[in-house]
Amino acid sequence: MQAGSSGVGYGLKYQARCISDVKADTDHTSFLAGTLSLREENEVHLIRLSADGTELICEGLFSHPNEIWDLRSCPFDQRIFTTVYSTGESYGAAVWQIPELYGQLNSPQLERVALLDAHVSKIKCVLWWPSGRNDKLVSIDEENLFLWSLDSSKKAAQVQSKESAGTMHYLSGGAWDPHDVNSIAATCESSVQFWDLRTMTKTSSIDVSHVRTIDYDTKKDHILVTAEDETGIHIWDLRKTKVPIRELPGHTHWTWAVACNPEYDGLILSGGTDSAVNLWLAPTGSRDEITSDSGQNSLTLKVDPLVNSYTDYEDSVYGLAWSSREPWIFASLSYDGRVVVESVKPYLSRK
Amino acid sequence: MAIEDAPLDDKAKRMRDLLSSFYAPDPSVAAGSLPKGASLDAINTDSFDADQYMNLLVQRANLEGLLQKHVEMAAEIKNLDTDLQMLVYENYNKFISATDAIKRMKSNIVGMEANMEQLLDKIMSVQSRSDGVNNSLFGKREHIEKLHRTRNLLRKVQFIYDLPARLGKCIKAEAYADAVRFYTGAMPIFKAYGESSFQDCKRASEEAVVTITKNLQGKLFSDSESIQTRAEAAVLLKQLDFPVDGLKVRLFEKLEQSLGGLQVKIWDIADALEESNDEQENDLQLGFAVAHDASVHEFVESVRAYRVIFPDSESQLIKLSEDLITKHFLITEQHMKKRVSTATFLRVLRIIWDDVLLIDQVLPEALLHDYCFKVSQSAIKQYVSSMFSHLLDDVSGAMMKVHPQQNNVVEEQLQVALEAGKNSLLKGSMDLLLGFRQLLEDNLDLLVKLRELITDWVQAGFQQFFEALDTRFLLLSGRIKSSPQDQSLSEGLQSEKISSGLVLVLAQLCVFVEQTAIPRITEEIAASFSSSGARGYEHRPVFHPAEISRVFQSASEKFLHQYINMRTHRISVLLRKRFTTPNWIKHKEPREVHMFVDLFLQELEAVGSEVKQILSQGVRKHRRSESNGSTTSSLSNSLRDDKLRRSNTQRARSQLLETHLAKLFKQKVEIFTKVEFTRESVVTTIIKLGLKSLQEFVRLQTLNRSGFQQIQLDIQFLRTPLKELAEDEAAIDFLLDEVIVGASDRCLDPTPLEPPILDKLIHAKTAETKEQNSSVASPTSQ
Repeated sequence: MQAGSSGVGYGLKYQARCISDVKADTDHTSFLAGTLSLREENEVHLIRLSADGTELICEGLFSHPNEIWDLRSCPFDQRIFTTVYSTGESYGAAVWQIPELYGQLNSPQLERVALLDAHVSKIKCVLWWPSGRNDKLVSIDEENLFLWSLDSSKKAAQVQSKESAGTMHYLSGGAWDPHDVNSIAATCESSVQFWDLRTMTKTSSIDVSHVRTIDYDTKKDHILVTAEDETGIHIWDLRKTKVPIRELPGHTHWTWAVACNPEYDGLILSGGTDSAVNLWLAPTGSRDEITSDSGQNSLTLKVDPLVNSYTDYEDSVYGLAWSSREPWIFASLSYDGRVVVESVKPYLSRK
Repeated sequence: MAIEDAPLDDKAKRMRDLLSSFYAPDPSVAAGSLPKGASLDAINTDSFDADQYMNLLVQRANLEGLLQKHVEMAAEIKNLDTDLQMLVYENYNKFISATDAIKRMKSNIVGMEANMEQLLDKIMSVQSRSDGVNNSLFGKREHIEKLHRTRNLLRKVQFIYDLPARLGKCIKAEAYADAVRFYTGAMPIFKAYGESSFQDCKRASEEAVVTITKNLQGKLFSDSESIQTRAEAAVLLKQLDFPVDGLKVRLFEKLEQSLGGLQVKIWDIADALEESNDEQENDLQLGFAVAHDASVHEFVESVRAYRVIFPDSESQLIKLSEDLITKHFLITEQHMKKRVSTATFLRVLRIIWDDVLLIDQVLPEALLHDYCFKVSQSAIKQYVSSMFSHLLDDVSGAMMKVHPQQNNVVEEQLQVALEAGKNSLLKGSMDLLLGFRQLLEDNLDLLVKLRELITDWVQAGFQQFFEALDTRFLLLSGRIKSSPQDQSLSEGLQSEKISSGLVLVLAQLCVFVEQTAIPRITEEIAASFSSSGARGYEHRPVFHPAEISRVFQSASEKFLHQYINMRTHRISVLLRKRFTTPNWIKHKEPREVHMFVDLFLQELEAVGSEVKQILSQGVRKHRRSESNGSTTSSLSNSLRDDKLRRSNTQRARSQLLETHLAKLFKQKVEIFTKVEFTRESVVTTIIKLGLKSLQEFVRLQTLNRSGFQQIQLDIQFLRTPLKELAEDEAAIDFLLDEVIVGASDRCLDPTPLEPPILDKLIHAKTAETKEQNSSVASPTSQ
């Protein structure tokens, strides 16, 4: 398959769900991936794409005490990242630091910077301050939202504020608005909620059910992309939350992950449980695009938003990450622990 | 001889010269030299040369001739001499008389002056006398003139005093024209002195005039009078300075009123025609038609009269008749909101056209032909489009009958709806075409001229109809939000959830449109509605069957996908509830097959029953192995158990490796294949998607041993019924295995249930369901 041949592969030992772009590493294109194995010793892999882009090199292999359900690299320190982990019965979240001397050690232990230990229910994700050096973190569990202040020198994190999402809502994930650092979008069963971090109050919501992943468009204000189980991908304008401004069909089965390209407008990546990664081009800027929701016909008559479908996966794809250093490169992670790094350059030049 | 000649010649010449110098206009010619003549004829010319003449004569003539000439000449000379003498004498005579006259004049003129002066004196005296007479008569004359004026005035006064009586007489005699002439004659006087001297008189005559006006008005308005008299009355009224415009307006209103009656009638007739056709009451029909004809004739007559009465009223009348036509069509358009058969429409058109022709005779200036064309164009166009919108409503009405039923779809309901939809679509469009063909074939002038346009409209109508149908379907399926104008339609829909059955019906209906309806309609159109070749290439046929087919093909696929989506969504909800509610890490030991499988199977059953009604059965392509279903399942069962047990004993890492290896060697099962329009394909796809969702849900949980065993049990139970339902057994097996593998991955202690326990529990469940089925079935059978 053409798509398969262009990708660079790398195998994790175990099943895995999460991969993150190391944003703070400005010299290399590197990714962090964490495994999800219930009964084995889990690992965090630091993977670097070689300079010529033909090989994925394991830069570091660190053992992690529990299976990893969420992993986010710190945007300002390439050695720091957060994980959300599970021991099977209980959940935990922590900030980790890659040890200084990891080059010498065989399988070095990670240094734990702080334990985000105020949670009582199932933790879903931890979010870093979207850009720049800031010690704020947000963690989301099923019922609550926590704002943390991280003090890396004291190796501790304090809860700054906390708010319950309400008894009827089980939160499942979230994203930090890169355009408005006081705003957080959190997903729950039947809606996407928007929280103001200053007052810790819910400001608005979009009624959309079973959102798996949300992502803000980093280039364009007010644009939010959601991936839902059955109904595919929706692009929302936060000023008009009644109806999405664009719908993309998504995947044959569920659409699990979605990621907006940090550089190119309207370039969206989605991973699904049909073992495929789809690359979409759905610009939202022009007027006619927005008005075209009047008829499905006019949409289908337009250029197919699907640019390419990468189908050379063995299992469902849960992890997706664009490289912020080389924004035409993305890494995808399927459940069988296979990392594939692809370049979308051929499709960019075509458009 | 020469001697004789010479004196004569000399004398004559002198004489001639003298005379010619006296009389001749050109003395120079007379006094000119004598050029030499060369012929004998020149004897009478000025240039006569006697010697030459003589020579010539001698040379040419013989003796006898000469002699004869001589005689002749002598005679001539003698004659000439006498003539000359006579002339001289007369001349002299005249001279003498002239001298006498001069002498007399001289003597007469002497006393003249004195006489003249005398005459002047006399004239002067005559003039002074006449002045005197004039002066003496002047006073008298003035007096006479004054008297004369007074007399005239008196006569006028007399006339005015007589006027009322006279008018009265005229009224009696109905000689209104005279009366008006008298009155208008007296008018200036009344104007000048009406306030003072002739008050009574004026009043009386005015009264008379009022009567006259009244009578005249009556005449004007009475339809029984002849047009001539009415026109005269109008003219007289105008002369009387009566506000004719008011009358005009009133008469006009009357016209309009009669018009109003006419308009209302037209559809009564049409309706009556309609009804009477049904009831065979030809009398009634005839009666209405006659009534209409009569009223139209009446209108025409009054228009004619009006024109004569008010000759400058054409523009108004034109407007009025245009109004009539416009209103006719307006009413027609109103009626078109209801369903109107083509025959009725045609009849109405014909009535209108007849009216137009009639009015046209009276009012050729109105160019009602053209106007009627213009208006009727839009009316017919609207008629065509209204017919299409009725058809659209019919089809969607048939669809709307599919009410969302909760779980239990009423048997056959979908099938009925589908058939109704198909029927109303095909039959409706055929009827439409039939009707339009009637329009085309009718030989009414109006329609003949519009034939080309109607053809275009019908084609465009179909194009738009199908586009609208597509949109309507999308609307019905809830794929697009309704626009405000369709609110009434969608109101019922939005409150309730759109039934999945409806979507399935729509999908199948789209296939029907694409495969059956469009080819037939295309055929029909090609047969009777193809535009003539007169129009150039730039006017391509407006109906593009290929385009419509494409639209409906994609729509049918979309609807099928939507159906599958809706169904899988329900299954998804079911599974989500199943997997998110319990605490899997503290799951209790499995005692029975969990009830969610029943719900799952129920859903599939519902799908099955819907699909059975709508979709056709595909070619059954079960990928069965040689042995029959049950043995395969048990065989694979033991194999899997074996695998699981091993994986339990060994480290999980190797187990994972093993599954990976197994996957490598197994042919990658194509889970998500293209959906076809067959029962099996749809059901299989839904099962596949459901199982995949099941797998994903399992992967999100962390299980204890009992939880794993529960899932193992449930899946094991599902295996048989699912494979019966689906056509692709390999894929189903693969997916079921995947669920178990996924569960074991997510299990802290993946120890499977012992096969005997598994079998026992499954048997218990099967028995239970059988019992249930029979208990459900038995009361219905009784």
